[in-house]
Amino acid sequence: MVTPVAGRAATRRPVPAPAAADGAPPAAFLARTDLGRLLEALQADGRTVIGPSIADGAIAYEEIRTIDDLPIGWRDAQAPGRYSLSEAGDERVFDYTVGPTSWKRFTFPPRIPLSRAQRDGRRVAYTSVEPETKPLAFLGVRACELAALGVQDRVLQDGPAVDRDYEARRASALVIAVECAVAGATCFCTSMGTGPRVRAGSGFDLALSEVGDGFLVRVGSPAGSDLLERMPTRRATADEVMAAKAQVRAVAERIGDPVPTIGLRDRLVDRWDSPHWARIAERCLSCANCTLVCPTCFCTSVQQVSDLDGLVSTSERTWDSCFTVGFGKVAGGNFRSRPQDRYRQWLTHKFATWIDQFGSFGCVGCGRCITWCPVGIDVRAELAAIAPAAPEVAGTHAPEPVAASPDAYVTARIGSIHQETADVSTLRLVDVDPAFVAGRPGQFAMVARPAFPPAPVSISRYRPDGIDLTIRAAGPSTASLVGLGPGDELGLRGPLGVPWPLERAVGRDVIVVTGGIGLAPLRPLIHGLLADRLRFGRIRIFYGARTPADLLYGDELAAWAARADLEVGITVDRAGPDWTGRVGIVTQLFDEATWDGASAIAFVCGPERMMSATAETLGERGLTSDRIFLTFERHMECGIGLCGHCQMGRLFVCRDGPVFSLAEVRDVLGREGI
Amino acid sequence: MTAPLPGPAVQADDPALDWFGHDVPPATRARLAELAQLQRFAPGEVVFREGGESLEFGVVRSGRIALRVVVPERGAVTILTVEPGDVINWSALVPPHRSTSTGTALSDVEILAFDAAAFRGALRSDDALAAAVYPRVLRAVSRRLMATRLQLLDLFARTEDRSW
Repeated sequence: MVTPVAGRAATRRPVPAPAAADGAPPAAFLARTDLGRLLEALQADGRTVIGPSIADGAIAYEEIRTIDDLPIGWRDAQAPGRYSLSEAGDERVFDYTVGPTSWKRFTFPPRIPLSRAQRDGRRVAYTSVEPETKPLAFLGVRACELAALGVQDRVLQDGPAVDRDYEARRASALVIAVECAVAGATCFCTSMGTGPRVRAGSGFDLALSEVGDGFLVRVGSPAGSDLLERMPTRRATADEVMAAKAQVRAVAERIGDPVPTIGLRDRLVDRWDSPHWARIAERCLSCANCTLVCPTCFCTSVQQVSDLDGLVSTSERTWDSCFTVGFGKVAGGNFRSRPQDRYRQWLTHKFATWIDQFGSFGCVGCGRCITWCPVGIDVRAELAAIAPAAPEVAGTHAPEPVAASPDAYVTARIGSIHQETADVSTLRLVDVDPAFVAGRPGQFAMVARPAFPPAPVSISRYRPDGIDLTIRAAGPSTASLVGLGPGDELGLRGPLGVPWPLERAVGRDVIVVTGGIGLAPLRPLIHGLLADRLRFGRIRIFYGARTPADLLYGDELAAWAARADLEVGITVDRAGPDWTGRVGIVTQLFDEATWDGASAIAFVCGPERMMSATAETLGERGLTSDRIFLTFERHMECGIGLCGHCQMGRLFVCRDGPVFSLAEVRDVLGREGI
Repeated sequence: MTAPLPGPAVQADDPALDWFGHDVPPATRARLAELAQLQRFAPGEVVFREGGESLEFGVVRSGRIALRVVVPERGAVTILTVEPGDVINWSALVPPHRSTSTGTALSDVEILAFDAAAFRGALRSDDALAAAVYPRVLRAVSRRLMATRLQLLDLFARTEDRSW
């Protein structure tokens, strides 16, 4: 389990690491022997440092007074229902994963006083208890735990109601993250998208990666920067930066993807009546261990603690658990009297209904509930049993692109050209590399002609013998492409990018909303839906263009509109008197409709402002952000996430998209200047 | 509006009232039905004319109407089409009671028409009716305003891209 990183040959002159692509300052390096200085600086600032320390046979989070309190040279071994420690005897400080405590013990303590009440004769008086906080520093917060703090932030302090005690405690803590160098056998942060990599902007002040004889240190906040300036650091070398990346990548590979989360929410809420709940309940002791070790569980109860004569009493808030028998009890009975009800409540909350309430999973994949379950119930296995991942729609996975790197192209020949509108043409390509024919709806190609820069173009049709590209002449490159004729050749790279998740539409109503040339990347999706028509519910296509003359694929649109199993709405922004179709914006085609989108899925492509208006209208129709998919346009040059041009916040459009769920891009959609 | 022959009486469960009067108390809906008159237009017929006095407030019952504005040298430009459930000639309720566009039937059209003066009088004297009608008219006008803003942005306009 130990993966120390081999030191590079000392004869090589260290190359300073370049600034990170996201504009963050370059990483610093802190020698392991100087870790004590960090501790001293935190203490000098008046902070109580909380970090990993051995207590009761496990690595728990305790006050760290000296470096010797840290479990230096110790390793943990975890499995469902099992935990043990062993001493490796080396200098590594953080080569273990998470133990039974989580940081919520300090941000959201198990027991706090809320208010005090006094009785004096017939008079009563209540006073609330102000949060008592002291400056803390959390040392050793893992990626999954940063995510857990984020989850609790959304629940407890991002409103509409705010937990004042949590808010005060959270604000008092400085967060020093540590990137995992080892994978625990119960970890599944990779599946939940929370780790093992500590991402920039995930809420740390400093982030450490243990490499060689010290720590690569990244800064995440001004407070972290101030602290780092007081440390005896040097600039990290490129080798150290690469070693840290390789180390965390190895952890991710080791964990794999044990919980396929695509569509998990919907799969789970479809299984309320699964017989498997009762089977789990045969093993579950309802002991509530899983909720106590969980870093995001937030349910509480308030208890009255009174003195003997009842004159003074305190309201105390304590952790509670949905696994306790009385949790769902009212005067008329108990809503969740059976263990199977309580297990279902917990699991569906973590992996499904939390999304509806707070916009993310309630689980961060830390694996504590697996390790600390006395009977070893493994949530990864139970999810697979209750809500197995849907069988894939044939060929859903994107193929390996050909000529992926920007220096290599394959050629293709133009079979024919069809002029769609005044400045848009569809090139029908033949003699195309088979990789393109195997591409998926929503993918794109980098298309080139000698002497012109390559342009990213959506693939607008897959044929057995080639592909179609629909191109608008917007600049010199694209103008040269639409100016070609049959028999001319061009250069291609691809197919690139993340495709539309067609498989998630199986069994659902489907809504396609598109504007202008945005129909091009959606056309193969519509072909995919129609090729397997019976696997989908109602299909509604809403298409808006500038004028009637700007509508693409006229014959095909007419054929779709004529089908009884397809609802097609077309509108234009303006028209002359000869147009008898609809005029107005595309959202007016469905904003007053009566259908319910609660179980539908939507695919949207168009100008960003149109997509944000569409997303809002779809939300009013009941679609959640994890079931609205959008495709983005940014300046793409390399197409594989290396050149940095298509950056959009924390995302590269070419590599991470161009198709995203609304949930992924909500923070950047419609924001100026991103 | 042009004045076709008086139409048949309108029932309180008329589909157009269903759309317009969704969630309206039964008594108010009955009052709306009393005030409404069914009118029919053939394709190409002008339902109301830009600048003309708004003699009737309407709710589309079936068909499609183009709202057009005349621009010198560009002729009549359709800026919006309205369909069943949509309000037409809301200017009948807002001074100076002049239509802001020309409404032309694009297909066979049925309208529930409310005589402007009588409708305004009823809204003045019947608070329950006013409380039901005005929010719906405001919503219709607001929806149209928001849509017009997006149209104004001309999102699909051609832009030059020098890189490609």
